[in-house]
Amino acid sequence: MPAYLTYSLSRLIGALITILVGSLLVFLVIKAAPGDPALVVLGDFATPESIARFNAEQGLDDPLMVQYLHWLTGLARLDFGTSLSLAKGQSIGQMLAFRLPNTATIGIYAIIIAILISLVLGTVSAINRGGPVDAVSTSVSVLGVSMPDFWLGYMLVLGLSIGMGLFPSYGFVPVSESFIGALHSGFLPALAIAAPMAAVFSRTLRASLVENMDRDHVTVARSFGHSPSFIFIHHVFRNSIIPFIVVVGLQVRYLLGGVVIIERIFGISGVGSLMVEAAFARDYYLVQACAVVFLTIVLAVNFIVDVICSMLDPRRVR
Amino acid sequence: MNLSNLLKNHTALAGAIITTIFLAAVVFGPTLSPWESNTFNFGAALQPPSAQHWYGTDSLGRDVLTRVLEGARVSLLISVGGVILAMLAGVTIGLYAGYYGGWFDMTAMRVMDLLFGFPAFVLALFLMVALGFGVTNVALAIMLVYLPIFARITRNSTELVRDDPYIQAARIMGQSAPRILFRELLPNISAPILVQASVSIAFGIVIESGLSFIGLGVQPPMPSLGVIMADGQEYFRPAPWVMTMTGMTITVALLALNLLGDGLRDMADPRLKTREA
Repeated sequence: MPAYLTYSLSRLIGALITILVGSLLVFLVIKAAPGDPALVVLGDFATPESIARFNAEQGLDDPLMVQYLHWLTGLARLDFGTSLSLAKGQSIGQMLAFRLPNTATIGIYAIIIAILISLVLGTVSAINRGGPVDAVSTSVSVLGVSMPDFWLGYMLVLGLSIGMGLFPSYGFVPVSESFIGALHSGFLPALAIAAPMAAVFSRTLRASLVENMDRDHVTVARSFGHSPSFIFIHHVFRNSIIPFIVVVGLQVRYLLGGVVIIERIFGISGVGSLMVEAAFARDYYLVQACAVVFLTIVLAVNFIVDVICSMLDPRRVR
Repeated sequence: MNLSNLLKNHTALAGAIITTIFLAAVVFGPTLSPWESNTFNFGAALQPPSAQHWYGTDSLGRDVLTRVLEGARVSLLISVGGVILAMLAGVTIGLYAGYYGGWFDMTAMRVMDLLFGFPAFVLALFLMVALGFGVTNVALAIMLVYLPIFARITRNSTELVRDDPYIQAARIMGQSAPRILFRELLPNISAPILVQASVSIAFGIVIESGLSFIGLGVQPPMPSLGVIMADGQEYFRPAPWVMTMTGMTITVALLALNLLGDGLRDMADPRLKTREA
C-alpha cells in the first residue's frame, strides 16, 4: 500500500473518533443545560402529566447512554431527529439538506475570492519585497485581519449597496434558482468573510515565497540562465504552495464561524443562521445537530487537506 | 524582550502606543466626557457626528462616543477575562502534557484538538444555549475558544526545552515538578504565549461583539461594543454613523493589538524577522 494511503487511512480513523467523542460531548453538554425540552415545547404552564407523557414519548426517561446511542445511530443514518420548537416536528435532516447548499455556496465563493486576492497581493509583495508596494500590501493585510467581518459586511452594504446600488443589501438567491443570481446576491456576504481570510492567505504566501526565493536551488536555476518567470513558477511558486494549502484548510474553521453571523445579517438561510435561530428558540435538538454538522465539515476539510499535502509532498508522511 | 528592544521595533512600538491611548480613553473617557451614556435626550436624536458629538447620537439622543467608550470597557474586560482564564488553564495543561508526555499528553491534546475543531462562533453559540446569555458566559465562551491554542503552543515549546541542561540541573537538585515547570521552564517559553495573548484579546473582542450583536451575548441596557452595534443596525439607513464609528473604533483597537503581537513575535524570534525582511 502506498505510504500516503496508509497515512490517509490513519487520519480518517482519527477524524471519525474525534467526531464520535465530539458528538458525545455535544450531547452531554446539552443534557446538562438548565433548560428542559418538555418546557420548551409545552410552555411554562404544562401540567406534570403532560410533561411525563412528553418525556416518555421522546425517550427522555431512558438512561443517558441509551439516549446517546439512539441519537448516534440516527446520525449514522443521517437521521438527526425532529425539531423541538423552531419548526416543531419537522425533520432536522430535511432542514439541513435545504440549508447546507446555501452555506456551501457562500463558503466556497468566499474562499475563491480570498484565494484570488491573496495570489495577487502575496505574489506582488514577495516580488517587490522591501519596497513601497510590499509595505502597502502588508499594511492592507494587517488592516484586513483587524476588521470584524460582520461590520465589514455593513460597510460594504453602505458603500456598494445603499451608496452605489450595485448589489442587494439583503436576501440571497440559491444556486438552484439562478447561478448568476447567487453570484450577484452572494457577493457582499462572501467578500465580507473573504477579506480577513485574504489577509491571512497573502501573508502566508508572501512569507513562503520569500523563503523559497532565497534557497540554493533557485540560485542554481538562476545561474543556469533560466528566465525569472520560469524560475518563479517552477522553483519558487511550486514549493510555496503547500503551506498555502495548509493555511487555506485551517481557515475553513474561521470561515464557518464568520458564516454564522454573516448569514444572519444578509438574510441567507444557511446552517449558520439556522443555528442562531435554533439558539433563540431553545431548540436543543437542532442546536446539537448544527454543532455536529459544523464539526464534521471542519474535520472533513482538514482530512482532505492532509491527504492533498501527503500526495504533494511525500516527506510529510512519516 | 525589554523596553529598549520595544523602542527599536517600530511595529511593536506603534501597536503599544495606540493600545495605550485606547486603554487610557476607555479608562478615563467616560468620566471626562460631558455626556452621560444612558441619559435620553430625544431632542438630540440621530444627529450626525459634530463638534459636540464626535460619533453623533443614537435614536435616544445618547452620545455614541461616550457609549462606545463605556461599551469598550465591558467588551475589553470580557475579552481579557476570557483570555486570562484560557491562558491559565491552557498553559498548565500544556506544561504538564509537554513535560511528562505519555497518556496524559495524548488524551489532553486529543481533547484540545476536538475543541479546536469547532468554529469559534459555533462553540460560543453552543455554550450560550447550554449556559444562557450574559457577561460571564461570553467570557467562558472566549476561554473555550482559546484554551486549545494556549495548550498547544505551551505543550510544543515545553517539549522543545524539557531536556535542556538547566532543566536537568533543576531536576538533579531535586526541585518539585510544579517548581521546575512554573519557575524554570515557563519564563523561557513565555514569549509565544504572550504574543498569542495579545492576538487573542483582539479576536476576543470580535467574539464578544459578534455574540452581543446577534443578541446572544451581553444584554442591554448594559452597553458593550456588540450591543451598541446591534442598536446601530436597527437604524443603519437613516443613521449609519453609529455602526460605522463603533466598528472603526474596534478596528483601530484590533489593529493596535495585532501590530503589538506581530512586533513582539519579531522580537521574540529575530530569525523570523530577517527571513521576512
